[in-house]
Amino acid sequence: MAGRVIVITSGKGGVGKTTTSANIGSALAKNGHSVVLIDTDIGLRNLDLLLGLENRIVYTLVDVVEERCKLKQALVKDKKNPNLCLLAAAQTRDKSSVSAEQLKKITDKLKKDYDYILVDCPAGIEQGFQTAIAGASEAIVVTTPEMSAVRDADRIIGLLEAAEGIESYKLLINRVRPNMIKSNDMMSVEDVENILSCQKIGIIPEDTGIITSTNRGEPIINNEKSLAGKAYINVARRINGEEVPFLDIDQPKDLVGKLKKFLSNLKKQGKEQ
Amino acid sequence: MEQFFNDNMYVIDLGEVNSAPEIIFMLSSALDNEESRNKRICLKLGNVNLNQAQLLSIKSLINGIDSTLSSIETKSTETEKVALSLGIIVSNISQENATESAPAMPYKLAEELKEENQEKKEEEIQEEPTEEKIEDNNYDIVEEIQEEIVEQKEVEQTENTVQEENAENKIEETISEEKTETEPIHDELDVIFSSSPAQKTFYEMESTHHEQNEETNELNDIIVPENEYTKEDIEIETFPTKYIKQTIRSGQVINYEGNVVIIGDCHPGCEITAFGDITVWGVLSGIAHSGAGGNQKARVRALKMNAIQLRIANCYSRRPDSLNTIYTEKTNSFTPEEARIVNGEIVVFKIND
Repeated sequence: MAGRVIVITSGKGGVGKTTTSANIGSALAKNGHSVVLIDTDIGLRNLDLLLGLENRIVYTLVDVVEERCKLKQALVKDKKNPNLCLLAAAQTRDKSSVSAEQLKKITDKLKKDYDYILVDCPAGIEQGFQTAIAGASEAIVVTTPEMSAVRDADRIIGLLEAAEGIESYKLLINRVRPNMIKSNDMMSVEDVENILSCQKIGIIPEDTGIITSTNRGEPIINNEKSLAGKAYINVARRINGEEVPFLDIDQPKDLVGKLKKFLSNLKKQGKEQ
Repeated sequence: MEQFFNDNMYVIDLGEVNSAPEIIFMLSSALDNEESRNKRICLKLGNVNLNQAQLLSIKSLINGIDSTLSSIETKSTETEKVALSLGIIVSNISQENATESAPAMPYKLAEELKEENQEKKEEEIQEEPTEEKIEDNNYDIVEEIQEEIVEQKEVEQTENTVQEENAENKIEETISEEKTETEPIHDELDVIFSSSPAQKTFYEMESTHHEQNEETNELNDIIVPENEYTKEDIEIETFPTKYIKQTIRSGQVINYEGNVVIIGDCHPGCEITAFGDITVWGVLSGIAHSGAGGNQKARVRALKMNAIQLRIANCYSRRPDSLNTIYTEKTNSFTPEEARIVNGEIVVFKIND
């Protein structure tokens, strides 16, 4: 079995790389694939918190690299889903502890036993980034509809194109607010796509539930009511090669908005006929 | 035959052995090993079919060296049935599985102990008529019952029921029977208190605590049968002590071949490793490893215990998932807590005033 190694990166910090990694990983595992999440943000690890596995970590990526333990010993199984494993980063070290070649060795080993290896990349374009993309053949670039995040994503895409080994990259647009797009306060999804000239793999709406899910240590895909959770599940299905239509993220919450939307949909249908 | 530690359990692998007498022979030679004393033992059996009498004799063999048969693993369905009928847990802990999943048991808290004790107490009330007879005949069983009473007393000191008064009387009798040397904890507290500059203010507190402490110390001796004043205690007392007066933040590591005293909080993500005791005057939320050199008597104590992981010597435990508070609120009313090894498990005790 040859697994796929996908790096999740963004350039700018705080756009949702770690949240995306945790949720896509959980969604893929929920669909029956075996998944390993690797946190390469050494010294500022967070992926374990999002999955609620903080208290289970004994060995880390650095321990594996420095051969204090076997690779299998360092993999922490998820509480709910046995298909999902986490290889956590060390909190007490820094990015120079792991080199690109060392991480490539680890991902090559994991490829044999698992369907998907998702690498959560640290922010920035320095050594940590170079290490994270070393073993990957695919990339997901996370960005938000803000000028700064888009500019950084552009830079990252340039670096990914130049890097050896990355065969394809897709865009994931996070924290989209339909209301602000309507009032022209935010770049639309199409704008971002045009600027970056890159194919998109998902649109995730802004969701306050993300904050609660982070604090509780439960991925939001387990919350069936959450729109962001559904969007992440769709992204996971698209990664797996399924054709899933993009979610309509413009879902008004109040009754008047719902009625308006219903009427406009009727109009559209009428025109089509 | 293989013997190794796994998840705070002592695993004896008899998977290769093919007959019942051979199992008992191999087991008894395995139990001669000093390491297997006072442990929770997990037996791995192969295809052999064991009957009730054979299993019972295995169980008593293990009880004979102060250990308990925690669970068995077997390929034979008949043995499994018999074991279940005897109330022995049948599990499937293979070596590979255990290495893959990270640390074992969540550490026990005083409240959980309380619940357990309440259950035990109910059982005990039913058994009460027979108790006196047992006391004459079998010393081991008496000791077990004492443990229960003692634990109850520790947790439910405020409750005054008729039964407990009875129990208390019994404790007093038994204490006079087996007097052991006083616990090191009190001595250590003495050291800490007396080295403090505000000696006088503490002194009053100390004297009021004195009687109670002495009592509980002796009680602790009964909880852990091996809890005598040993070489290990002396080792901890003679260790040098590092005194740190700062907040330990995420990513910071403290390594010391001795005791560590921290005046300040230890935030999640920090790691403290010491050969002796770790004492935190604040909230402990990181990872603490005391007795890193293998000292089983080492302890971890803090004003508020919220540690992600606790490790003492070669035991380790993680914070229960039910305790999902990453950052604790700071209040003025703390109950100091102390973690130590009890029967091969890490247990967190509240030090009640």
